Amino acid sequence: MIRISNLSKVYTKGRNKVVALQDINLHINKGDIYGIIGLSGAGKSSLIRCINRIEEPTSGDIWVNDINMIDLNPTQLRKARKKIGMIFQSFNLLYSKTVFENIAFPLRLDKTPEKIIKEKVNSLLELVELTDKIHAYPAQLSGGQKQRVGIARALANDPDVLLCDEATSALDPKTTQQILNLLKTINKNFGLTIVVITHEMEVIKEICNRVAILESGRIIEEGNTIDIFSQPGNDITKHFVEQSQELPEEFLKGNVLNLSFMHGTAHEPVISKVVKTFNVDVNILSGKIEFIQEKQIGKLTVEINVEPHKLLDIIKYLEENHVRVEVMKK
Amino acid sequence: MMYWVDVLMLPLWETIYMVFVSVFFTVLFGLPLGIILVITDQEHICPKPVLNAVLSYIINITRSLPFIILMIFIFPFTRLIVGTTIGTTAAIVPLVVASTPFFARIVETSIREVDWGVVEASIAMGASPLQIILKVLIPEAMPSLVLGTTITIINVLGYSAMAGAIGAGGLGDLAVRYGYHRFQTDVMIATIIVLIIFVQVMQSVGNKVAQIINKK
Ligand SMILES: Nc1ncnc2c1ncn2[C@@H]1O[C@H](COP(=O)(O)OP(=O)(O)O)[C@@H](O)[C@H]1O
Ligand SMILES: [Mg+2]
Repeated sequence: MIRISNLSKVYTKGRNKVVALQDINLHINKGDIYGIIGLSGAGKSSLIRCINRIEEPTSGDIWVNDINMIDLNPTQLRKARKKIGMIFQSFNLLYSKTVFENIAFPLRLDKTPEKIIKEKVNSLLELVELTDKIHAYPAQLSGGQKQRVGIARALANDPDVLLCDEATSALDPKTTQQILNLLKTINKNFGLTIVVITHEMEVIKEICNRVAILESGRIIEEGNTIDIFSQPGNDITKHFVEQSQELPEEFLKGNVLNLSFMHGTAHEPVISKVVKTFNVDVNILSGKIEFIQEKQIGKLTVEINVEPHKLLDIIKYLEENHVRVEVMKK
Repeated sequence: MMYWVDVLMLPLWETIYMVFVSVFFTVLFGLPLGIILVITDQEHICPKPVLNAVLSYIINITRSLPFIILMIFIFPFTRLIVGTTIGTTAAIVPLVVASTPFFARIVETSIREVDWGVVEASIAMGASPLQIILKVLIPEAMPSLVLGTTITIINVLGYSAMAGAIGAGGLGDLAVRYGYHRFQTDVMIATIIVLIIFVQVMQSVGNKVAQIINKK
């Protein structure tokens, strides 16, 4: 659906050069909700904005639906953009126009007959549950309502892809949840491919089936959300995945292990089996069960005071029982 | 009372005619000029740095000339267009020449105030530059443009009085003839009152209209 190869983006202002993206390679499949996460300044916005070329890539190729966006002339590009919806952190609605006119805007660009516009806008208003706000102006709406107008507007041309640049970052947690649910519904019902940019792991966990982690303009990790969560391979990734797992130094006396339980092991008494089998004391430091796209991952941080060779046996035993083990400190 | 009405009526009408016809042409030329100033900017939808710099330069030159000097300076041009340099209609030419750059700068400021995010959203929706100008920039800037037009009307009124002093008729001419040459203070005061009312009415109407169309 979307294929990005060797994409780079350098901002040049006078003699100053900022390398925002370096050699990005990505493959997004049809029907994916693809998350791109990174800290502020990592280059997320630059990346998503290169997809519809509202930011001009410095080098590389971007295929959307087998069309290389880079090859298009201005007229072709405008046509291609109509099939790529986009929503923004700051909503970017037209303040001088009503909800109806905002959603009708992309259709009016093509001189669509008024009757068709009316039908389309009304059905979109129903989808985003804003039928009663049809004649309201954006200034009269809440943040969540504005974003739903943004979504309706982005869907007006029946796009193949929806790009979301920090679409929920200006919203409170409850409203964020509603918008994420709406995106999930749209993805399921229309098979719409969605690309989500965010700095919030919660957003990724909630809706993305695949995720890429962006750091200083490079993709440092990429894969299924569930895999990345259960086994983050990289320090930055861990930063996102384990934001709440910081442990004070004084706890870390013996061997500290991070355990991830998945594929049904989350409800098996593996720990008590370890205690019985190896006759060791297991001290639980922290633990939680997380839901990632309705699948559960158990996360447990434990301390075990044993000799190294016995520890290796325990790790082997755990891994045989489908528990992913990461040694934090020996 | 009737005397003042008689004396004031024709000059007032001449002033209104001069001001509104001038403002009409000022908006006609100044609006596109102001928009071009914005969109040809390096970071905008239609970057043309050279054109931008040249336009900006011409506008600055025109704006640095005091109106009375500009008016005399362009007499040949005025004669070319209306056939004469004297009279109310002839005054419209220098008025338009002087106020167009002024209004263009006001338009420039208003259009620049339009949230760039909204422009970007319309680019992302596949809008062409012309569609962005007509369907996004102008409607979004409308309240500000209305206020800018109000300021321009009041500004042109001021210029028109100066034009009046050198043969264009109107209230400026009246004030010079009665107030300056004949020391008729009553006519002078009546003229001032009419001007104050005119400015007040224009400003209130402008504010009201801007307020009604402002949905932000
Ligand atoms: N228009 C621009 N001009 C110059 N530098 C920019 C511009 N936009 C972004 N940058 C720089 O590029 C880097 C990546 O920015 P951005 O893509 O906005 O990151 P993110 O969305 O992850 O916060 C930052 O260092 C930022 O300062
Ligand atoms: Mg950003």
